[in-house]
Amino acid sequence: MSVLQVQDLKKTYGKIQALKGVSFEIPKGAVFGILGPNGSGKTTMLSIILDVLNADSGTYSWFGKPASPDLRKHIGSLLETPNFYHYLSAKNNLKITNSISGRGDKAAIDSVLQKVKLYERRNSRFSTYSLGMKQRLAIAAALLGDPQILVLDEPTNGLDPVGIMEIRELIIDLSKKGHTIIMASHLLDEVEKICTHVAILKLGTLVTSGSVEDVLVDEDVVEIGAADIEQLKRALSNYPGITSTTHNAQTMQLHFPKGTASAEEVNRYCFNQGIALQYLAIKKKRLEEKFFELTGN
Amino acid sequence: MLHLFRTEWLKIKNYPGFWWIMGITVLSYPGINGMFYTIYKQQTANTKSAAQMLKMLIGNPFEFPEVFRTTAFASSMFVIIPSILVIMLITNEYTYKTNRQNVIDGWSRNEFLIAKFLNVVIITMIVIALYLLVTLSIGFSTTGADVKNKFQLANYTALFSLQTFAQLSFAFLLGLLIKRAFIALGVFIFYKIIVENIAAELLNKYVHADTGRFLPTESSDMLTPVPAFLGRLDPKVYDHALGLINQQVFVTIGYLFIFWGLVFWIYKKRDL
Repeated sequence: MSVLQVQDLKKTYGKIQALKGVSFEIPKGAVFGILGPNGSGKTTMLSIILDVLNADSGTYSWFGKPASPDLRKHIGSLLETPNFYHYLSAKNNLKITNSISGRGDKAAIDSVLQKVKLYERRNSRFSTYSLGMKQRLAIAAALLGDPQILVLDEPTNGLDPVGIMEIRELIIDLSKKGHTIIMASHLLDEVEKICTHVAILKLGTLVTSGSVEDVLVDEDVVEIGAADIEQLKRALSNYPGITSTTHNAQTMQLHFPKGTASAEEVNRYCFNQGIALQYLAIKKKRLEEKFFELTGN
Repeated sequence: MLHLFRTEWLKIKNYPGFWWIMGITVLSYPGINGMFYTIYKQQTANTKSAAQMLKMLIGNPFEFPEVFRTTAFASSMFVIIPSILVIMLITNEYTYKTNRQNVIDGWSRNEFLIAKFLNVVIITMIVIALYLLVTLSIGFSTTGADVKNKFQLANYTALFSLQTFAQLSFAFLLGLLIKRAFIALGVFIFYKIIVENIAAELLNKYVHADTGRFLPTESSDMLTPVPAFLGRLDPKVYDHALGLINQQVFVTIGYLFIFWGLVFWIYKKRDL
């Protein structure tokens, strides 16, 4: 079942078309990463599904139902920047989140503040917080009441390396418990480590979306190495089933259509040709590589 | 409705800026009326003939029932102080982007505005409570037991309430449109004190003698005319102004619908 269905969303700011008919679905329990360079429309899209921006056209639905304030109450969200009353403490700000959304209670407020390591500073005014602390409070507000769906826009913004690792572990932990997490991020490495699904946006257009596996793997690459790389190149130039080959000083890459490569057969073939392989591996494309390839950066 | 009120209370109960301005509001209404009353008392307490003539001429505007009109008029000049509160409460939400967070957290846009509408209603009620406190205190301390119909002009309480609510609603609309507290307040003061007075004069002179009263804040200003003793300077004009009050009630209510209609419409259409 889809948690969120987005259909042909379009949005313009004056002459700039921020979203040009974006459609995708987010399955229940997924950690869905939304990637894209600056200005690709990530935040615009999240803002529309959270009803702070009006789409020019297109629709979206949560759990197959049209969006409504009541549905939003069950979604923990961090959009763009931490938005809190500067003159109030962390605790009093979370009381407002609780009062509006109905998520959590007094004990839950203390619990989320402990989780994001702000409990000791719970009575300090928001205006006295560092950027990282503000971000932690925004994450605490999103986590309040343990919502089943989280929408996190750049959740690791302003966090130190330890904070980034903690958020990564938190998301993995929530995912294991069955929560659905929708996350926009610039940090491709983070997304690759955490996400089960990705959508890549470029200039308001959806370039690709699907499971991380499907998006990353569009061909099989077998990388091999031998003492005489020239002999290896000659022997494998006519290997059946390959679409292309590439090489560098030490290794050679054989490109196969997706799902057709067999490391065992390549090894046997080389052995029969009198070549002893020193190195053999099936290579997976990295998200970073794929991202640059798709966005043309 | 109660949860909206509760949430708004959470926002303001620990907000020092709000309580400072509220304190100034609470002090200003008794302060300004008390000052006028003291001046009157000082000027007429003198046994010299000039002072006694003045007393005969203007009567006692601080006695029942006239005190209702006098304090309504004096108090209406200080709507700018509670309007700071109203403008602050809406522009803060833009400054901190909490208006969008409230919607993200599960309020509808209408709920957000209804909560703010409640704020304006409550601030109006506080102003009215202050008006009544001042009016009744001065009235009972200056009026002899022999005066009948003490509450004959008590309808000015309702007229002053309507005027205050309309003008605070206008201030709210400007706050929502402009989003920045100081600019919104500046525009409100500039419009109310300068632009509208000039516009009313020009309209009255060049269009029709009666058109100025249909302007957004002039329409409600006419609900609380000057005290009767000032009206004696030109009885014909004063009687005309008193005769127009009932019409101005409808014009003001019309403007209230326009102000809040615009507020809800703009907020529905606007990206947060």
